[in-house]
Amino acid sequence: MNKIAKLFVTFISAITLALVSFTSSFAKVEGEYIVLGSAISLTGKYSSNGVHTQNGYNMAVERINKMGGVEVQGKKYKFEIIYYDDESNPKRAAQLAERLIKQDGVHYMLGPYSSGLTKAIAPVTEKYKIPMVEANGASRSLFTKGYKYLFAVLSPANQYLEVAIDLAVEKNGGKGVKIAQAFEQDAFSQDVRLGILDAAKRTGSEIIIDDKLPKELNDMAATLAKVKAVKPDVLVVSGHTKGALTAIRQISEMKVDVPMLAMTHCDAAKLSKQHGKKSEFALCASQWHKNLSYKDKFFGSGKKYAKDFQKEFGYDPPYQSAESSAALLVFKDAFERANSFDRDAVRDALVDTEMQTFYGNIKFGPGGQNVAKPMILFQVRCKGDDCENRVVAPTKWASDKFYHPIPKWSERS
Amino acid sequence: MNKVKQKDLILYSSLIILGLAAPYLFSAFKVQLTYLCVLIVLAMTWNLQGGEMGYNTFGNILFYGLGMYLTASVQVGMFFPLAEWTESGGEKTFVHTAAQYFQGIGVGLLVSAIIPAIVAGAIGYAILGLRGHYFAICTLGLGIAAGEIAGGIEIIGAGQGFTTPPFPAEIVDTEARGKFFYFLSFALLIGTFVFVKYIYGSRFKLILNAIRDNEDKAEAMGIQTMKYKITGWMCSAFFCGLAGGIMGGLIGYIDSTDVAFDGREMGVFMVLMAILGGKGTLWGPVIGATLFHFFKEGLWTLILGWQYVALGVLIVVIVIYFPEGLMGWLREKYPERFGEVIDEKDRKAQVELK
Repeated sequence: MNKIAKLFVTFISAITLALVSFTSSFAKVEGEYIVLGSAISLTGKYSSNGVHTQNGYNMAVERINKMGGVEVQGKKYKFEIIYYDDESNPKRAAQLAERLIKQDGVHYMLGPYSSGLTKAIAPVTEKYKIPMVEANGASRSLFTKGYKYLFAVLSPANQYLEVAIDLAVEKNGGKGVKIAQAFEQDAFSQDVRLGILDAAKRTGSEIIIDDKLPKELNDMAATLAKVKAVKPDVLVVSGHTKGALTAIRQISEMKVDVPMLAMTHCDAAKLSKQHGKKSEFALCASQWHKNLSYKDKFFGSGKKYAKDFQKEFGYDPPYQSAESSAALLVFKDAFERANSFDRDAVRDALVDTEMQTFYGNIKFGPGGQNVAKPMILFQVRCKGDDCENRVVAPTKWASDKFYHPIPKWSERS
Repeated sequence: MNKVKQKDLILYSSLIILGLAAPYLFSAFKVQLTYLCVLIVLAMTWNLQGGEMGYNTFGNILFYGLGMYLTASVQVGMFFPLAEWTESGGEKTFVHTAAQYFQGIGVGLLVSAIIPAIVAGAIGYAILGLRGHYFAICTLGLGIAAGEIAGGIEIIGAGQGFTTPPFPAEIVDTEARGKFFYFLSFALLIGTFVFVKYIYGSRFKLILNAIRDNEDKAEAMGIQTMKYKITGWMCSAFFCGLAGGIMGGLIGYIDSTDVAFDGREMGVFMVLMAILGGKGTLWGPVIGATLFHFFKEGLWTLILGWQYVALGVLIVVIVIYFPEGLMGWLREKYPERFGEVIDEKDRKAQVELK
C-alpha cells in the first residue's frame, strides 16, 4: 500500500474511533432535568426574532425552575434547553432537528423562529414522534398537513391582517376598498397575503397592487412609487422585522400618503423606538400585547411580564418573546397532567390542553393551531417624541380609538 | 502495474465496506453521513470545471436546485395534481403509498439528472465562450437569478416553499428513511467517483487540462474546445442534479433561495471544499469535503454565533497556507510519494537561482 493510501486509512480509522466513542447520547430526562431541544436563528436574516424567541424561552425556563419546576410522579424536575443555531436556513434547521433527536437524545422539542423553518422541522419531529410545542410558525399550511405532534400556541398567519381590512371597509362606510399590498417571498408573509385575499373577496374590495418582495428586504421603493401613483385606501406590508423597518423608512423618505398602513412585526422591530414619529399611525397585527387582561401564576399579568422582561433583557418584550414563554408553560402543564415522560402520553396531554396564560388562552384545534386566542391590532401613537403601541382592536381590549385616516405628510409636524 | 492495482483494490473495497457499514455503526449520524456523500459529489463535480478545466463556476448550484425541484415535482405530479399540492395554504392532504413514493422518486431522479444536463448544454453553449472572471461572475448571476425566478413560480410553491412528499407511513421503521437516503447518496457517490476516475484515465481529462493551461494553444492544436467544455459541464450537471434530488427528499422542504438555489452556502461550500482538498486532483475534493464536513459539524455548535467568523478564518488560512489545497501541499512536501522523481541537483540549482 502506498503511503498516501496508508495516511488515508489512518485518517478514516481515527474518525471512526472518534465517532463511535461520541455516539453515546444522553437521555431526554437526565437526573433532575427535563431536556428540551430547539434550533433557533441566532444568525442570518431572522437573527433578531430568533433572539426574541430564545429570550422568551430562557425567561420561562428560569421562572418555572425558580418556582418549583415540573412535578412528575411526585418528583420535581427542572427544564433545560439545548440550543443550536439554524442560521435562518431551513436545510440547516431540518438537519439540526435530526441531530437533537438522534444524537442528543432529545424527546421534546420547542419550535424555531418563522414558519419556513417550522415547516422544515415538523416532518422530522413527526417521523420520530417527538412532541413539538412551537410559538413562531404561523403559516396555515402547517396545520393542514395532518401533523399529530405539532402544537402551536399562536393564531394562524392568515388571520393576522384580515381584521385590518374589515376595519378599513368599516371606515369606508361598508363599501369595498382599494388595497395595495407587498409581501416578502416567504412562507409566513405569503400566508398573511392569503388572509388579505380572502378578506378582499369577502368585503368586495379590490387589490390594485400585489407585489412580491425579495427576502432580506432592504428596498421597496418600486412598490411605493406605484402606491404614490394609484392612491390606494390601504397599504399592507409584511416581511418580518426587516420588512417593517424598510417600509417605515422608505414611506417617510418618499412621503407616501396613504390613509391606512397595516403591517406585521412592528413590535419586534421596535418601530416606535427606532423610527419614533415617522412610524406614527402604523397599524400592526400582533399575537399579544402587554395590556391584555390574561393572567397566570408564573408571570402574573402581561404588564408584569413586560416589566420583568425589561429588567432581564433591557427591552420591551415583543409578542415573539411572550408566545415563546407561553410554550414552556404549555409543556409544564402537559407534563404534569400526563404525569409521565412517555412521549405519547405527553402528546395526548397536549391535545387536551385548555389553560390561560399571561399570553392568552390556549386550546389546540385538530390541526395543532391555537383556537382560543384572537389576534389583536395596535396602532403606533406618539405624545411629543414618545411613541408607543396602543391596542385599537378588538374592542374588548382597546385602550385607544383607531385613528383614521393617517394625516398627509405635509400636515405632519 | 498489477501490484498497484491490488493495493487500490484493498483501499477501495475497504472504503466501500466502511461506507456500507457506516449507517449501522453510527446509526445516529445517518443524516450527516448522507450530507457528507452529497458534499463530496458536489466538490468532485465542481473540480471538473474549477480544477481540471480552469473555469471557476459558481453556477453548479443551478443544477443542484433544478434537480431538487424536478425530483419533488415529478414525485408529486405523477400521482396528484401538482398545483393543488403546492397551493399556498394547502387545504388538501395527499398521501403517497410506499409504491408511489418509490416509483415517484425513481422517475424523479432520472428526470433530475437528464434535464439539468440538457440545461447545462444550452447555457454552456451561450456562456462558455466567456473566460476567467467573466465566466465566474456570469455563473454567479445564474444561481441568484434561478432562486428569484423559482420564488415566483406558483406551481412549485413560490415563496411558500415546496414540502416534498413525506416518507410513506406504511414503513413503520423510523430508521428506514435515513437508511434509504443514505444508501441512495452513497450509490451516487460511488457512481460519481467511478465516473470521475474514469475521466482521470482518459484523453478527455488531458483536453480539459489543455484548456486550463492554455486555451488558445489547445485550439490551435485542433481541439474543439467549446465542445469539450460543454460536455464537461453537462457531466457535472448530471451528477449535481441527482445530488439535489436526493437532498430535496431528505430535507423535506424546498425553499427557493435557502435550500434549492442556495448559492450562499452550498454554492460556496463546493468551491471551498475542492480548494481545501486540492483542486485538480482525484482525491482532493473527497478529502476536502470530508474535512470540511467534520469541521462544520464538530465545531459549528461549539462556537455558536461565531461559526461564520471561524469559516472566514478557515478560508483565509486555506488560501494563505494551502493555496494548492491539502493534496497540493502533500505533493510539494513528499513528491516522491506521488510518483514524481526529483533531480536533486536540478532542485538545488533552482533554489540557488532564487
